[in-house]
Amino acid sequence: MFFHIVLERNMQLHPRYFGRNLRDNLVSKLMKDVEGTCSGRHGFVVAVTGIENIGKGIIRDGTGFVTFPVKYQCVVFRPFKGEILEAVVTMVNKMGFFAEAGPVQIFVSNHLIPDDMEFQTGDMPNYTTSDGSVKIQKDSEVRLKIIGTRVDATEIFCIGTIKDDFLGVINDPATV
Amino acid sequence: MSVVTDSPAHSSGSDDFISYLNDALDASSPDSSADEEAETQDEFEDVRNKRRKLESTEETEGSTSEGIMEHKLVVAESSVKVDVCTHPGSFGEMCIRCGQKLDGESGVTFGYIHKGLRLHDEEISRLRNTDMKKYLFSKKLYLVLDLDHTLLNTTILGHLSSEELHLLNETDSLEDVSKGSLFKLEHMHMMTKLRPFVRTFLKEASEMFEMYIYTMGDRPYALEMAKLLDPQGEYFNSKVISRDDGTQRHQKGLDIVLGQESAVLILDDTEHAWMKHKNNLILMERYHFFASSCRQFGFNCKSLAETKSDENETDGALAKILEMLKEVHCTFFDKLQGDLVDRDVRQVLSSVRGKILSGCVIIFSRINHGALPTLKRIAEQMGATCLMELDPTVTHVVATDAGTEKSRWAVKEKKFLVHPRWIEAANYFWQKQPEENFVVKKTTNPL
Repeated sequence: MFFHIVLERNMQLHPRYFGRNLRDNLVSKLMKDVEGTCSGRHGFVVAVTGIENIGKGIIRDGTGFVTFPVKYQCVVFRPFKGEILEAVVTMVNKMGFFAEAGPVQIFVSNHLIPDDMEFQTGDMPNYTTSDGSVKIQKDSEVRLKIIGTRVDATEIFCIGTIKDDFLGVINDPATV
Repeated sequence: MSVVTDSPAHSSGSDDFISYLNDALDASSPDSSADEEAETQDEFEDVRNKRRKLESTEETEGSTSEGIMEHKLVVAESSVKVDVCTHPGSFGEMCIRCGQKLDGESGVTFGYIHKGLRLHDEEISRLRNTDMKKYLFSKKLYLVLDLDHTLLNTTILGHLSSEELHLLNETDSLEDVSKGSLFKLEHMHMMTKLRPFVRTFLKEASEMFEMYIYTMGDRPYALEMAKLLDPQGEYFNSKVISRDDGTQRHQKGLDIVLGQESAVLILDDTEHAWMKHKNNLILMERYHFFASSCRQFGFNCKSLAETKSDENETDGALAKILEMLKEVHCTFFDKLQGDLVDRDVRQVLSSVRGKILSGCVIIFSRINHGALPTLKRIAEQMGATCLMELDPTVTHVVATDAGTEKSRWAVKEKKFLVHPRWIEAANYFWQKQPEENFVVKKTTNPL
């Protein structure tokens, strides 16, 4: 799920950036620092959308660095248990398949793939139904349900399932 | 505040929803550090209790959106608990079947397939069994291949000897690796030479085997080499195992290979890396193309690169081994009786090996005491009979010196007198070698 929230961060700025462009420098450093990072609480920071407020800077003794408390708006992405996601398959093997939804890595084990789909080896390993009508392979797009999530400092891991109604392949690259 | 305005669940006060979100975030965000695991567990319980209380009060007051959502969440959680899961493995420390958080230390890591993937023994054996049936049906066995000195030879650019510098101008383009065999990997400061015949070898072997790469090199190196050997990714797709993935230091093990041990063959030049799987091992003659590699193993001769030569393409070690692999494969599937599942490739291997020197009766003379037991073991594995005393049935005398009593006896009785290398060569080539190539010279200083 995506959220638009306000977060706060203490930014340390080198004295060489002080001047007319202080604010711009602060914002670009903020974007560089936080976009693409993960926090266990909020998930993956997709983009900074605006600055709410920049507090008074505090000068650090000895270094001359200044710390500014910055409140900013950003879009975050965090998967939840029970959420339905669409993801792109990145790897298929006999254990199941791995898929990605942006920064989120999802594993769907073969226990959670419908029983009528069977693993086929070859240079393009895939899961196929016995009649061959549905095929999951690398680059397929699938709709899946999250049953477990774990957020690390830089990565989000999820366990997914497609063993439920209306889940599975939504777009097969082979047929396009 | 667009969380609130965008949210479909929003019906009552926005503060309620935010507090719900905060609760939910607290509850399901684990702390990544292990020592705080217990603490977060407690917190988790706390939050849930709080939520239950919240829920009951909310429900009496009338249904707010929060109440409904909480209810659903609790239901989802309890349904997972009812279904007793055996936790066949984990991904990012969550069970791959039920999504529950698990203790990260159990099971075997399969980092070479995907980061954070672990499987338990029962799941591994289940996968092996289902796999086995499929592969036996399509007449395939497993083959684990070593990289260095087996399929290729690599040197650091700085270690090239002065006589090898001509190679720098002879490297093949990295654009189309499938045609070349000598590559300079600038970013890794390395130069790699593929062993002659390796492309044909891989192509033909892939029809009989499901192939893995297993190297003592690190992961980036292993992947880079896999790219050179298999640019299309048709042979080693997520089956490249490096030392970072092994379960034991300085040892290679089949525990992380998803194949039944009775169907795996190993091709490697280092015997002691496979202590537990010697019966699966096919020992390779080392391929030394670069001088640095020769020196590393204590050879003082000129390297192949220095003499501008190379192993013979059609007659080299890989070609010989491929023939032998074909024989093993054919014996396993076509000649053995009984159920396919009960067959064991290790027995096939030892029986093929046992035919190499069958009928030879060997006696050793003046062999270094350190080397004798190994030579004797190798000779016996190849089906030869080793005697300690001279006997008219002896066919070969193995000696390092033509002047010994037994050597002179061999010459007089017109028996073969061969150098110990004759045995080693037979072992590498899986074929009895012509004895006249291994004549023993008389040492010049008579005793």
